[in-house]
Amino acid sequence: MTTRRVKDLAELPRDIPPARDLWPAIAEAIRADLAMKAVPDSRRRVGWWPAVGLAASVALVAVGVFIGKNFKQDQDQALAAIHTAAPDNDAGMIKASLRQAEYEKQRDQLWTEVQAKLNTMPPAEREKVGASLATLKKSIKDIEDALGRDPANALLQELLVNSSQEEMRVLTTVRDSGRQEL
Amino acid sequence: MKPDTVVNFDVALVERARGGDAKAFERLYREHVGRVHGLCLRMTRNPDTAADCVQDAFIKAWKALPRFEARASFSTWLHRIAVNTVLEKRRGPAKAEISVEDPGEYEEPTMVFDTPVEEEELEAAIESLPQGARDALVLCGLYGYEHQEAASMLGIAVGTCKAQLHRARGLLKERLERGVR
Repeated sequence: MTTRRVKDLAELPRDIPPARDLWPAIAEAIRADLAMKAVPDSRRRVGWWPAVGLAASVALVAVGVFIGKNFKQDQDQALAAIHTAAPDNDAGMIKASLRQAEYEKQRDQLWTEVQAKLNTMPPAEREKVGASLATLKKSIKDIEDALGRDPANALLQELLVNSSQEEMRVLTTVRDSGRQEL
Repeated sequence: MKPDTVVNFDVALVERARGGDAKAFERLYREHVGRVHGLCLRMTRNPDTAADCVQDAFIKAWKALPRFEARASFSTWLHRIAVNTVLEKRRGPAKAEISVEDPGEYEEPTMVFDTPVEEEELEAAIESLPQGARDALVLCGLYGYEHQEAASMLGIAVGTCKAQLHRARGLLKERLERGVR
């Protein structure tokens, strides 16, 4: 078999493709490298979760201390909506379920009613409760954001469920606090 | 190295790959794998070893991307990594360097033959060269690197690179005249 004839060394082809595709092995190594790089982030997040939980807890405790233990029956109905939307036996569905329309509708309604309630409070109390509720809301938003980055994180999912339940409990309590006093 | 037309195309891909975009890096791989493999194959003379070197070189390149300076040629940078990988794979002790009294004596890296030579015959002749001479011939004569760049890649003195190329040319001519082996 004869091959092409060349007159200059530089005429030889520089490109010689490998006999097999080497990319899959390289891609595997890259995936491993990216996973390794992600580890420190995860660890940082591990340290961050308790902080979020603590922030939510602080907000909840602050609101709870102010309001007292005034639970009403329809509070249970609100919590039932969360449980219906977020089955405990399917952690992967929790976040999505929490966003179901029924839950959101009830929560938004509660926030509206609580806002109206706040307007009837003395300024000092209104400021205190409002700040606590804002902290609580931000904590939940932070958890949701963290879940957006790490959707499969069971700890965050659980934290979101617990915080959302607490949110409903606190909102219900704030809303009904006047009725108790009455 | 001589101007490379793919350099500009590489810039955007390199930038994306530096940001962790594996798809962009795959495109760089597809663009450069033939040339890197050709280089490794000619230096190692073994297809399996060459494939290993290519794989390792691209993995090293991925990991080293954050240190890659955008002003440099990605191709040259990649070849440097590939050459280094080949040298690491050889593991054996470094061959004794051939020194020259006048480093300017063997400047011309190209090699023109009096009569056309069959590609296959030429590749076989290159393959038969001693390691040091082959490395210099492949990098300077075939891939167009200046002596300084090639010497830097190989970790040898510029004068040694010139001497090895001179030696390679003499041996190549001699082997082609007598039918290689």
